[in-house]
Amino acid sequence: MLKHNFIHELKTLTRNRWMLFLGIIILVFFSFATFNGHQKVEKRALDINAAKQEVKDADQEMLMLIDSVERGMEVSAPYWTIPTSPMAVGNYHPRVAAMDPEPWAFIATGQSDLFTHYVKPTVAGDDHTLNYTEMTSPIQLLFGSFDISFVIIYLLPLIIVAFSYNILSSERENGSLRLLASNSISLQKWVIQKLAFRFLFVALVSILVLGGIFLIKGFDLFSNFGEFLSLVLVMLGYVLFWFVLAFIINISSGSSAKNAIVLLGLWVGLVLLVPSILNQLGNSIYPMPSRTLMINDMRQIKVDVSQKQDEILDNYLRDHPEYAINDTTENRSFYHRYMASQMLVKKELEPAVSEFEDQLKRQQQWLNQFKWLSPAILVQESMNHIAGTSTSDYESYRKQVSEFADIWRNHFMPLLYNNQKFSEADYKDLPSFQYKSKKTSVKANLLLLFVISLILGLTFGISHVIKGKKASMAMN
Amino acid sequence: MIRQTFLKEIKELLRDGRPRIALIIVGLLLLVAVWISARQYENTNAQYEIAKQTERGIWDGQSDKNPHSAAHFGTYAFKPKYPLSLLDQGVDKYAGVSIFLEAHNRNEAQFSAATDQTGLARFGDLTPDFILLFLVPLLIVLLGFNTFTKEGELGTLALLRSSTVPTWKLVLGKWMALFIPVLIISLILFGLAGAILSSLKDYGVFEWSSLFMMLLVYLLYYVIFINLVMVISFLSKRSGISLVTSLSIWILTCLAVPKIASTVAEQKYPYPTRQVFEAEVLQDKKSGLDGHNPWSKEAKLLEQKVLAEYKVDSLHQLPFNFDAYRMQKGEEHEAEVYFKHYKFLKEQYNNQSLVYQNLAVISPFLPTRFLSMAIAHTDYGTHWDFSDAAEKYRVATQKFLNDDFAKNSSYGDWSYRADASKWATLPPFEYQPSKLKAVLSQNATHFLILGIWTVLSFGVLFVTAKRI
Repeated sequence: MLKHNFIHELKTLTRNRWMLFLGIIILVFFSFATFNGHQKVEKRALDINAAKQEVKDADQEMLMLIDSVERGMEVSAPYWTIPTSPMAVGNYHPRVAAMDPEPWAFIATGQSDLFTHYVKPTVAGDDHTLNYTEMTSPIQLLFGSFDISFVIIYLLPLIIVAFSYNILSSERENGSLRLLASNSISLQKWVIQKLAFRFLFVALVSILVLGGIFLIKGFDLFSNFGEFLSLVLVMLGYVLFWFVLAFIINISSGSSAKNAIVLLGLWVGLVLLVPSILNQLGNSIYPMPSRTLMINDMRQIKVDVSQKQDEILDNYLRDHPEYAINDTTENRSFYHRYMASQMLVKKELEPAVSEFEDQLKRQQQWLNQFKWLSPAILVQESMNHIAGTSTSDYESYRKQVSEFADIWRNHFMPLLYNNQKFSEADYKDLPSFQYKSKKTSVKANLLLLFVISLILGLTFGISHVIKGKKASMAMN
Repeated sequence: MIRQTFLKEIKELLRDGRPRIALIIVGLLLLVAVWISARQYENTNAQYEIAKQTERGIWDGQSDKNPHSAAHFGTYAFKPKYPLSLLDQGVDKYAGVSIFLEAHNRNEAQFSAATDQTGLARFGDLTPDFILLFLVPLLIVLLGFNTFTKEGELGTLALLRSSTVPTWKLVLGKWMALFIPVLIISLILFGLAGAILSSLKDYGVFEWSSLFMMLLVYLLYYVIFINLVMVISFLSKRSGISLVTSLSIWILTCLAVPKIASTVAEQKYPYPTRQVFEAEVLQDKKSGLDGHNPWSKEAKLLEQKVLAEYKVDSLHQLPFNFDAYRMQKGEEHEAEVYFKHYKFLKEQYNNQSLVYQNLAVISPFLPTRFLSMAIAHTDYGTHWDFSDAAEKYRVATQKFLNDDFAKNSSYGDWSYRADASKWATLPPFEYQPSKLKAVLSQNATHFLILGIWTVLSFGVLFVTAKRI
């Protein structure tokens, strides 16, 4: 009977071209999304490379300039940019601290459209207020991008709904339900078989299409197979969830139109409303401090500090006696005072600045407790993790940059306070930045995804059986 | 007959549990959304007021210092929220709220709310505009998908056909049954918003005419959706098919097309990355006068020019401090460089806007989206306007400071300090967004497209419904 059913399904579906139509839609959506994602990631990589190349070229010029100065030649650059001064190197020749894209970055735009992917922290700059936002039109951010994650989270469920809202009801409406009921197979089993067939179809087409597009795009599937597997499993888990819902609605069915309305209501609730309500609640429970008020604080601290620059410098030098010993000239310039103050400002502002990151973390933790409420959230999070474009990836990047900014600054401090010159020999010791990608496992989310479907299916199955028994008892 | 059809349809809607529940849910969501937005609005503006005053206090409270030191110390321009953001938050979440105004540099607006939110925020916020733009059309689909198909399914179609009632009366009755509930919801919401906004004191100028215009935009949007849903219901054989088709239209219009549009716009007219932009600006700055560098070629040229102009042979004989004069000229050169580069950005932005306008032909969502944001002053245009105003103020501030430096000191005198009372005489930064009339004329194309959509959809409804 199973085989028979499958063949029958295949025939009816191919005959009314539904299958072909849906197959083509999935193909078009995924192709367009992959194409977009690829372009974005390619641009990102190109931008980073261009920035690195620019630094390389500038370094050559810098070395030539140092060479000229060391040989006592006249140079045309303004004196404060001449790279024999360590502060000139630290400020005008910063390194690129880039966040290289993960191999799977193209599947989910995530937060990548909000943030820049490379910054160049300078010695004198305010690295605690480094601007990480990218120059994008906010309209783009508002509308979002058409990426694979959008297709899977928003569109696949709708395709599934369109594909399976009327399995039982159409039989009733066509008058063939009585025929069906007179068969030896139970209705539930019959619906399950029909849905299983559709599930297999949607799953197979999606996997084949995705794999195919990736291969055509020249993407190295095999060396990144683990992530591909995660991606496919996440997608399957999500597709399965929607088919389980479709099954439940079909069995407790009304008319086709009513089924469609209920399924659609579930889609609106789970994909649109639950995430935005949770987000709103997270914001209300752990409200972000005000950035505008933070600016006030920062300004006030800077005013206070600038009024006592000499005192701060004295204190700083008292804390760092090594500079007094090494430097016999005792020459104190603008930068000596400025850097000591700058470091103090940073220290004083640190609690206020880290409050933003901490609050964000608290929000995230709170949300983690409720993310099972909507599989859409689980899928979004997992895909962002696989793509390396999640909130935590960017947080990790910011942290690494902040550490690097410290390294960069501290590299020049001894040179500055010892009043040493920057020489050609010092060039090779300049620190450089290497982004370490933060691999977040999606196993927990995956498990949760399948468990939700399982629990949903089981609860419904059991309650249905109980109801059936009650009904038959009542009949007796 | 129109009234009877209308009453019958409304009765049916109310009898069926699902539309009733849907109506109640949408109503409740709207109330919650308005409440949240109103709180946010008050909060943000309270913070805005504090920040503005504190920053001005910090500026005014500067001690005796060289005007150019004050220029480097700089000040901040803060962007307020405007009253109608209560209904449409637009791009506010993605645009920065503060601009640092300093010597030599035009800075971008910093600190958008979106960067301080979790990834979940990208699903969208529970704001009135989300409900008005996405959920109400969906509600229309739910209420209206079977308005004609049910006649066929219940077998009443034959009855209708045999009656002598003109078709248009029937169609109009059904149309009203869809429009009136939506109209009531909208009226309640906009009335509520108006009441809240006019009761809040001190915060921005709220105008009923803007609110009314916004209501009109949304009503047109809903009319278009009602017409489309009715046409589809008329052409479909079964309710299920009608529902799925209407839904596909909804998905395409509200979800897919905006994303496709933004993708196309970005690919065709990309912005440079922040770093590239800054590098290019720096390059252009270097090719001109640097106020801090008296040894450059440009500085020497300026020197000769000024000496010739005043017919003196030494900078010391000039009636003003040439250092400050050079600073000012350098500032003007830098302002020009920024003007040029921001002009390019603006061109890209205008081209992107054209992409959105062109795609509005296939999605009434787009013109509605843009009109609503524009009327609420939460659109990208207002942000541009604000940042241009801040830049103008920055340039004027630099002139104010450099002029003082030039007038009150002599050449070479970098130790000059302006009196502490000087800072308070700098005029404050004021920004007023454009008036409703200007906004509407700027967005005339969107209105036109929305109008065409309305007329065409009525036309199609009229033509199809003739053949009942």
